[in-house]
Order: sequence, then C-alpha cells, then structure tokens
Amino acid sequence: MITLETNYSKKIGLPGYSSHQFSITLKSELSDISQVEAESARLYDVLQNSVDSNIQQVGFLPNEAKPSTNGNAHTNGNGHHRSIKPVEETWKCSPAQKDLILKITDENKLDKTKVDQLAQDRFGKGVKQLNKLEASGLIEELLEQTGQSKPRSQRFARGGAR
Amino acid sequence: MIATSNNGHAKTVEPDIVSILQQTVSASRLNCWLQCRLKFYFRYVLKLTKPKTAALHYGSVLHLVLQQWNLNRWRKQPFDLERLRQVFDNGWADQQQIEWDGEEAAQKASAWSVLERYFAETPIGGNELPEAVEVSVEADLSHHGLPVLIGVLDLVRSGGRIVDFKSTGKTPDNESALHQNGLQLDCYSILYREAAGKREGGRELHHLVKTKVPKVIVTETGPMQEHQRTRLFRLMENYVEGLERKDFVPAIGMQCAGCEFRNECAKWSGYENPTH
Repeated sequence: MITLETNYSKKIGLPGYSSHQFSITLKSELSDISQVEAESARLYDVLQNSVDSNIQQVGFLPNEAKPSTNGNAHTNGNGHHRSIKPVEETWKCSPAQKDLILKITDENKLDKTKVDQLAQDRFGKGVKQLNKLEASGLIEELLEQTGQSKPRSQRFARGGAR
Repeated sequence: MIATSNNGHAKTVEPDIVSILQQTVSASRLNCWLQCRLKFYFRYVLKLTKPKTAALHYGSVLHLVLQQWNLNRWRKQPFDLERLRQVFDNGWADQQQIEWDGEEAAQKASAWSVLERYFAETPIGGNELPEAVEVSVEADLSHHGLPVLIGVLDLVRSGGRIVDFKSTGKTPDNESALHQNGLQLDCYSILYREAAGKREGGRELHHLVKTKVPKVIVTETGPMQEHQRTRLFRLMENYVEGLERKDFVPAIGMQCAGCEFRNECAKWSGYENPTH
C-alpha cells in the first residue's frame, strides 16, 4: 500500500498589511505506484478548488484596514496612504468566453442564479471560477438548452469531420 | 479565384485559402498533411467532398452513442441502455449514399455488439463524472511562431485523463497505437493545458475492436513529455512552411489503397495546384 500525502496552502495579502492563509492536508492510499501521477493531479485540483473557495472569506479585519465606504484613501500605521479598491470578481475563463456566456444569458433572459447553479452542478464551482475548458462545456450546454446549437450528441451523425 | 480541373469537374480555389489554413491547425489536418500533401490539397484546399464510406459511418455511430453515454454521466443521469439503443438506431438511420454491398444488417449488428461489450468492460465507472465532454478548445501558439491549434476533446475523465475513442477492425498493439496516435494525443495535451491551466493526468485510447467476438483494448500513456511537444511543434512548422511553398506533392505508398482521392491523384499532372 502506498500512502500519498498532499498539501495545498495559499497566503494572500489583505488591506492594512494584513494577510491570511489557509492550507489543507490530505492523505490517501494507493494500491499501485502507477496511480500516483493521476491521483496527485486530481488531488491538486480538489485541494486548490477547496482552498480557493474558502479563502475568499477574509473574516475579521482590524478597523483601520477596512475599506472606506467612499473609496477615499486612508492612512495606515506607517503614515503611507493607500487607496483600497473594492475587490473585483474576476473571471477565470477567456474574455471571449465571458462575453459569450453573458450574451447567451441576456439574450435568452436566463436567470443568472440558475446559470451559476448549472455551473455548480456540472463543475462544483460558480461561473466566474470556471477555467476555459469548463467554460467551453458550459457554453455548449447553454447553447443546447436554449436551442441555439445542435445537441453535442448528434454532431457525429454527419461524419465526425473535425 | 483560380480555376482548377479536377476529375472532369471545374473547381475554384479561394485566393486566400492557403493563408487561412496557415492561421489555424487541428490534429486531423496535420495528420492529413503528414500522410499525403496532395490528399490535403484535395480535401482542404479544393474542398472536394466524397460520399461517406460504410467504415466511417460505423465509427461515427459508435462515437455518437459514446458521446451520449458521456453526456449522461456528466448530467448525472442514470445509465439507460434502451435510450442509448434509440440513439444508436437514429444515428444509424441518418445516412445517405453509403454502399453497403448487402452488409448493412451485419454491420449494424456488429456495431451494437461492440458497444455492448464496451459498456460491459469499460474502465470508466458508472458514477465517474467527466471533467469535459466534447468541448471545443484552442491554444494560441503564435509566441512559438505557429498557428492557433484548434480541436475538440471527446472526453476528459476525472483527474485530467484525456480519452480518445477508436473503432478498429484489428486488435491493436499498444506500442503501435501510441505511435500512430501520438500526434493527436499531443495536440490534445496542448489544448487541455491551455484550457484547464494545468497538466493532464494522462492520455488513454479506448479501442472498440470490431472482430467477430468484439474486444475492448485500453491503451494508456502518461502526460505529454517535453520531447513530444518539441516534435509536434516541428511538425507544425513543416505544415506552415509547406503551405507557404504550396508543396502539394503526393506521398505514394500502402495508404493509397484506401484513399478516397485515388482517381483524382491518378489524373494529377504535377501542375494542378494554385501556383500554376
């Protein structure tokens, strides 16, 4: 029996020179050394997604580190001024994929929470967290659900030319 | 437009077709280029179309059913053999101008029987959720001076294991199968890494062998190695440079026996290409 111990840790900076970090350690058992590569890749993916989804909750912050509501700069302990901007939610997929997902959602008047739920069901993460591969899958599914694309399962019927 | 005589039919070549072909490349296009440049010319430059062959239809219907099976697991739907049989029957009926030589019923029975064998022996568990099913992806390789690589990944299993399904009449030898399909697998690795932002867990060829008693052979290999990536990029360079030279000469050999452009090739004088 082979024991595979994996750890994923992430530390991120917070306003006011604060930071927080989170790590997960996981042990699993393998019956064959040939499984190491695939299993470690899988665990890396699972651990990274778990850490990323949890670390977004920053919890308590010292008063002086909290962003001001009017967006003005504030003073920290070193006398330096630093402007705290609201954290923008970034999309992990390509800009073109982001635009297409938003376009399909808007044009078909889809409920954004349902689109997000679809992403959660299929990939275990929200739309904005999808990588390009996952976003491509979601786009195919949305196009199929809104009748804008031939079902993927029927595309081979004409010969499968790629 | 440049007029070209081909098999008695006048064809025209779009003036910028070669530059369009240089902008993107896929595994199938690259394989065709390496197999025979004159075949590539007929298929992708002149865009000659041929009726679907019985073997291609057979393989297409197998893929159709396997895609539905993968989508069902992705959507967390239960395995339903009856529903898959309906997909198979509908896919089989969706055909035109195929010459069966009286073999259609036997071929259809063989195709379903090889699928049943696959579902019984597949290493993919019924509850295993795929990472991706038939997704279109691309990788911009312009920083290497190469075209954009485009492709469709049939199936990515959990752990980033890329799967390609093959239907074949002969029991494959693992080493030969990996050699013959290496270019395609390496293309998929590049596409996966670009799209998922991580290295693939491995690559698998699932062969559905249509022998009298159907067989399932799974050939596994690890992630793409650096020398395989370099080799693929070298082949892509050859593709771009050869297209630039309009180097559409035939590669005559054993593969000609099954080529759909044999008649056109026999009539090719050496001057029927866009440079003349």
